[in-house]
Amino acid sequence: MIELRKISKHYPVGFGRNEILKDVDLTIQEGEFVSIMGPSGSGKSTLLHIMGLLEEPSGGEYLFQGERVDRMNEKKRTQLHRGAIGFVFQAYHLIDELTVYENIETPLLYKNVSSSERKSRVADVLDRFNMVAKKDLFPSQLSGGQQQLVGIARAIVAEPRVILADEPTGNLHSDQAKVIMELFRTLNEQDKITIVQVTHSDLNATYGNRIIQIRDGHIQG
Amino acid sequence: MWKNYWLMAVRNLLKRKLYTTINITGLAAGIACFILLALYLENEWTYDKWHTNISELYRLRMDYGEKGEPVTHTALTPSALSAAIKDFPEVKQVVRVYGVNATVKYGEKVMNEDKFVYADAPFFQMFSFPLLSGNAAAVLNGPGMVVLSRRTAEKYFGQEDPVGKTITINGRTSLQVTGVAENPPSNTHLKFDFIASYSTLQYKDRWGSANYYTYVRLNKADMAGSLHSRLSSMAMAQLPEEARNSGLTYDFTPEPVSGLHLDSIAQDQPEESGDKRYNYIFSLVAVMLLIIACVNFMNLATARAAERGREVGVRKTLGAERGQLFWQFIAESALITFIAVVLGMLLAALLLPAFNNLADKQLQFGGIAGYRIYLLLAAAFFITSFLTGTYPALFLSGFRPVQVLKGKVNGPKGDNLRRSLVVFQFAASAFFIICTLAVGRQLHYIQHKKLGQERDHLLVLEGWKEDVNKLQAFKNKLMQQAGIVNVTASPNSPMSIEGGYTLGNIEGKQPTYEMSVTALPVEKDYIKTMGINLMSGEDLTDADIQDVLKADSLKVYHFFLNETAVRLLGWTPETATGKRLQMNGRVGSVKGVMKDFHFASMKSKIKPLVIFPEYDWFNQVIVKTSGNNDREMIAGIEKVWNEYLPQTPFSFRFMDQDFNRLYKTEYRVAAILNTFSIVVMLVSCLGLLGLAALTTQQRTKEIGIRKVMGASVASVVMLLSRDFIKLVVIALILAAPLSWYIISHWLEGFAYHTTLNAGVFLGAAVLAVSVALVTVSLQTVKAALTNPVISLKSE
Ligand SMILES: Nc1ncnc2c1ncn2[C@@H]1O[C@H](COP(=O)(O)OP(=O)(O)OP(=O)(O)O)[C@@H](O)[C@H]1O
Ligand SMILES: [Mg+2]
Repeated sequence: MIELRKISKHYPVGFGRNEILKDVDLTIQEGEFVSIMGPSGSGKSTLLHIMGLLEEPSGGEYLFQGERVDRMNEKKRTQLHRGAIGFVFQAYHLIDELTVYENIETPLLYKNVSSSERKSRVADVLDRFNMVAKKDLFPSQLSGGQQQLVGIARAIVAEPRVILADEPTGNLHSDQAKVIMELFRTLNEQDKITIVQVTHSDLNATYGNRIIQIRDGHIQG
Repeated sequence: MWKNYWLMAVRNLLKRKLYTTINITGLAAGIACFILLALYLENEWTYDKWHTNISELYRLRMDYGEKGEPVTHTALTPSALSAAIKDFPEVKQVVRVYGVNATVKYGEKVMNEDKFVYADAPFFQMFSFPLLSGNAAAVLNGPGMVVLSRRTAEKYFGQEDPVGKTITINGRTSLQVTGVAENPPSNTHLKFDFIASYSTLQYKDRWGSANYYTYVRLNKADMAGSLHSRLSSMAMAQLPEEARNSGLTYDFTPEPVSGLHLDSIAQDQPEESGDKRYNYIFSLVAVMLLIIACVNFMNLATARAAERGREVGVRKTLGAERGQLFWQFIAESALITFIAVVLGMLLAALLLPAFNNLADKQLQFGGIAGYRIYLLLAAAFFITSFLTGTYPALFLSGFRPVQVLKGKVNGPKGDNLRRSLVVFQFAASAFFIICTLAVGRQLHYIQHKKLGQERDHLLVLEGWKEDVNKLQAFKNKLMQQAGIVNVTASPNSPMSIEGGYTLGNIEGKQPTYEMSVTALPVEKDYIKTMGINLMSGEDLTDADIQDVLKADSLKVYHFFLNETAVRLLGWTPETATGKRLQMNGRVGSVKGVMKDFHFASMKSKIKPLVIFPEYDWFNQVIVKTSGNNDREMIAGIEKVWNEYLPQTPFSFRFMDQDFNRLYKTEYRVAAILNTFSIVVMLVSCLGLLGLAALTTQQRTKEIGIRKVMGASVASVVMLLSRDFIKLVVIALILAAPLSWYIISHWLEGFAYHTTLNAGVFLGAAVLAVSVALVTVSLQTVKAALTNPVISLKSE
């Protein structure tokens, strides 16, 4: 599913450069649930952004579903964002002006899903997340946990192959975090969605079936 | 998808009320002003162009001047010109138009009319004024015929059919109504209410006096050139040999009727003409207003990039293409623009009467070329949405999601652009303010410059038509009234003396030497009443008046020349008196020399002038009062008037009005400029207000920290305002040279003018900076006063 070969990333700093990722080799199989851990500033988010095609690596090769990402054009990448990759953010990043329902519907709009199918899919997801009653509320009217549920609902509504989550529970109380983690587990086990999450919590990391430690831009062990 | 865009747009507007209000108000104001100015300019630029034969229509201008003296161009030509040219191969038709003031009587109704003209028979064939009744070829085809405008027909005849009825002019001449014409539109220089047949006048054709407009219809549109050369040689042939050799200018030039309003250089037009330069300035104002309002929009939209950027990033990770985001933002600005256009139109409709008043026009939506305004509006809508939408749309849709998700949005680039746009806005505002102040200064100068003759406490009674004996009796009766100092009479206003005459047979000059002058026949007490200073000679005596009342061959005239005329003749005030000369057949001598005074607009230099007593015809009685022109005195004058002229309705004006009429265009332009400068300034300030609000909002945390560390309110306000004020100062520095250039140019159009001084620029600077400071303070003071704990907690 995801294959990184000698991926490196650096930013220019003054006259030198700041190496953030150094020769990262990493393969994630379809159906895995991977947790990335490491100290602050070690490059976890950067790695996740690269996997999510939001950032270009400075060197190395990245194959997504066996295809070289650096050879893809803008169109193809957008296509992947629409269909294959779902994002969950620590800060939820819901669109404030849209209701719960409309937030979840947005990826389908970009995917050009027909109106009737949009309705049924959003309804399905709302049902599954027990949020039918909240569908007409705006994000500001929800608790943090509820917002993150909407964030996940939005990430999965377009039926992606992989969900990339950057500290999805970082802003949440541990009870809420548990709900989210249970949800990820279900999505992974029942829906066979590949999940890559960045987390600082050892507990959350145990939900996954593999833990990757990153330190100073290197994958440990 | 589009539903989603509109939804977002509407919710965004509702959520950010200040932002929405600023954008919509600014744009609506910009669009309203744009519409009004567009209507104005449309009217100006379509002047007379709607006549069917417009490409063949010309008016002849007379050009004359001494050798070495500036040439005078006048639209008034001698009555004999028409007959002299009617057989030219280029000429298809010639029409003379002669404008007068007349007292019109029908039944019980008696009114003074100032849009009364006499015209030759083919008038309605030459021009395309539609006739509601009557046949264009026949309505003026003989003496004693008159055509009324629709409004006049309604005024005098109500529901009756006026055709065939008889009206009386000045209590003497009877005219039969032969037709009714549609009211002349506001975009024609010939605004008549009565057109009587020229043959009614039974005047002999003469070359000596020029009081007639001569219009020509050419056989082919491209014959103006050959007509001009034929006219030139004809004019030259008219002059005596010596005059021809003396380098005198005497010419007739065809000017296209389509350009009379804006391009004609002739004086004495039937209607005060427009001025291209002002039209260009107004176009600039119109476009500037729109651009400035658009700039507000762009500035605020990009300043909010941090906020909107996050959304862009999220949408991109959800699979949005740049194009889709682009259209989303365009939709938003289109919505705002649409609301603004609708509001702007309503506002324009609401303000139209006030604007008409200001601009001295009768503009309306619709009209002859009305649809164009809607086309323009549609164009303005699309251009505005595009302008306001594209830049923010490109800017915002270009964000890379990672930058956004990491919270880095505002590059220095956006900031600089925003600063430049604010500078641009305020430079434009400063430019208009400087212009407004400078124009105001010049008008003030004109108002307060010593004329050299009186213009205060003078009443002009209009429509005197009785003979001399009656005038004397009328005068005597008036003089008995308390508060009346002097009474005199003249055919037209002392503030704009226009009659063209020629001096000849001058003592001490070649017999063939001639000099063109402006001259005014007056009543005995004119010089005294008007407060004209004599440098030499004596005022008129009763004996002098007797001299001009004698039989034609025995008449002796007494001329007063002004300083300029005396100088041009090579005399001094002392040597001039007693010199014999003739003026258009009037034999006499110089009685005195008048100190130069302004008897025409200060746009041109004082010209040679002759004032002489002649009792043929006066049109107005001038009354000098002691200063209290109160109702009682005027009522008293009216009583005497009605006693002596029961046939003529009493109507009067103050001499001041005549004076101000000379600068009507300037006053009008100043009023328009004033108003729109204020709008430009306000719209710019709206933008500044929005920006200040956003900046302070973004810097709330910084302000909080500074205050915790002990910063005073004043220092925080300074900190926040400093940047904006800097921009305004830069704007002023940019605007100064351009406005200086334009204003100096404008001032040169006046022979008598003020000089530009630093005061104007300083005034504009103080105004702009203080207005900007107040605007910015509305936001910054609030932020500075906020309790720091609150602002830090909410972070
Ligand atoms: N645009 C950039 N320019 C320069 N350096 C950057 C840039 N973006 C990130 N970095 C640096 O890259 C390093 C890794 O950042 P990253 O966000 O991946 O860390 P992280 O492991 O996610 O940390 P955290 O746990 O705090 O989220 C940091 O030291 C950061 O300063
Ligand atoms: Mg991180």
